[in-house]
Amino acid sequence: MADIDEAKRSLTIKLVYYGPAMSGKTTNLMRLHDLLSPDLKGEIMTLETQNDRTLFFDLLPLGFRTPSGWLVKFKLYTVPGQVVHDATRKAVLSRADGVVFVADSQRSQGINNSESFQNLEDNARRVGLDFGTLPIVVQFNKRDLPNVLSEEEIHGRWSAAPWPLVMASALTGTGVRETFVKLLEAVYPLLDRNFSLSEKHGTDAKAFIDAAVGEQLGNPR
Amino acid sequence: MEIHARGYDSTLSLRELLSGIPPDRLSAALTVLLGGPARIVSADGAWVMGDAPPLAENARRLPLVHDLETAGYLETAAADEARVRAAANLLELFMRSGARYFMASEMHIEVVKADYEELQRRHAALAESEARYRALAENLEERVREQVNTIASAHRQLYQAEKLASVGQLAAGVAHEINNPIGFIRSNLGTAQSYVEKFRSVAGQVKSGGNAALLGAWQAADLDFVLEDFPSLLQESVDGADRVARIVSDLKGFSNVDQAEEEVVDLNDCIRSACNVAAHQINSRADLKLALGELPPLRCKAGHLSQVFLNLLLNAAQAMKERGEIRIRSGVEDGQIVIRFSDSGCGIPPEILPRIFDPFFTTRDVGSGTGLGLTVSRDIVVSHGGHIEVESKAGAGTTFTIYLPLDKA
Repeated sequence: MADIDEAKRSLTIKLVYYGPAMSGKTTNLMRLHDLLSPDLKGEIMTLETQNDRTLFFDLLPLGFRTPSGWLVKFKLYTVPGQVVHDATRKAVLSRADGVVFVADSQRSQGINNSESFQNLEDNARRVGLDFGTLPIVVQFNKRDLPNVLSEEEIHGRWSAAPWPLVMASALTGTGVRETFVKLLEAVYPLLDRNFSLSEKHGTDAKAFIDAAVGEQLGNPR
Repeated sequence: MEIHARGYDSTLSLRELLSGIPPDRLSAALTVLLGGPARIVSADGAWVMGDAPPLAENARRLPLVHDLETAGYLETAAADEARVRAAANLLELFMRSGARYFMASEMHIEVVKADYEELQRRHAALAESEARYRALAENLEERVREQVNTIASAHRQLYQAEKLASVGQLAAGVAHEINNPIGFIRSNLGTAQSYVEKFRSVAGQVKSGGNAALLGAWQAADLDFVLEDFPSLLQESVDGADRVARIVSDLKGFSNVDQAEEEVVDLNDCIRSACNVAAHQINSRADLKLALGELPPLRCKAGHLSQVFLNLLLNAAQAMKERGEIRIRSGVEDGQIVIRFSDSGCGIPPEILPRIFDPFFTTRDVGSGTGLGLTVSRDIVVSHGGHIEVESKAGAGTTFTIYLPLDKA
């Protein structure tokens, strides 16, 4: 659950981009960095890569101040998608407040997607997260590529799942912000319950999301 | 060794962020770059890099931001705005680099730890599976041993059954063939005895008849002696024929072993008949002394038990280096039938005593013993619910004791 620091008056929320290798998790973070304009936006910290593949994780810090003067920080992490880095994935996933599962829409990637989703479920259990209540958004990425599953097929396959589905093309930026917003919508009720965001900090769901994506002052989304 | 990771995502203080950089060298470099003294102070003022003394009241103070928060301040008396900003920027890059190093190393520790735990878990699983297979293997050996024992026992019984069957067939054949001639020999001997009596009755008349020639011939042929000796010759022959008939009858008793039907017998009868069969081999070596107590009738395979008694008797006879004594005692003790075969023979050396019941163990020359006699004897006694014990003193003799449970009537 999110870290609360009464002394520094800050709340840190951990969001994790999970998914199979090469599905575009790092690209999601890079696009978010470009697209969002919250009060506070850090640089993407890429920890270690090898041939453009994430070895440890990427980290994008975002933040805003509530009317009550508290600092709400988001730490967006990506996991390494390659199967061998399971211990790293597990470590990154621990204490997560929400997860975006970035699936690869290409027809050839069906098995990788399902294995990775299974891995997410397994690791969530191992690090003590309740998979039933963990906020999750499923993003089907790479919609711009040929030979991808149609939206009907995807919706058909995931119709029984309780999680929101978002179609995206991280390379062009389509659906990236929408995914993030969907995740914030899923995360907010839990945070509000635990930290009384709305009552004590004057931040309702809309204000929370607007502040996180940087669209105060009535800017259109 | 246990490494405690703080967690790659823990909040870092300014001091930790700059921990890789020597304070004196950084201070010296900043002083040169800024053209004036400078110091780095944590956000709450509790930590000052290199414990530098405070600057004048009018010093400039620039925030050093890390992870969206002000981690500390750069304080300097230098006036050049651009240089001061550049220095603060540089310090933020240092801090970022420090954070990267910290997160990478913490993550590395976590991953190594997780991998190690996973290895240990697999090791434990392997050890467990190995233990399971080891137990299975040990079990398997035990089961193979049991199976081998079962087969060996079945083999011995088969061997014994075959042997007894062929001996029985032979004995039955011989007994049948001898029975008829011995019958008419015995019968004829009786008739011959009455004939000799008739000769004797006329002997007086021949001698008193006064016929000198006849008397001379009588005396020349020493017929007085003949008439004297003939009845006792015939009586010995009759006794001999009777003995043959008795042995034949005993042989028939042994020949019944292949039928292996249970019957109710007095074991003392079995012991006596075994003694008769073995008499020839025993008499030349030992004196046989029987002390047979009263035994209740027992339902058993009499032929098999007779075989046991015969085996023990023959063993006892063969144990005699010089003429000795074989005692057979029977009786009921503590609710079971006890039969003891004691001999005054050479005894069994203690080192081979534990092996005498082992199959194919023999001390006799190759060809003269099968090494199965005692094994089969024990099998037979055990199959009657009893057991057999042995006591021996080298040079002083051996006692085999057979214990058999009474019928639960």
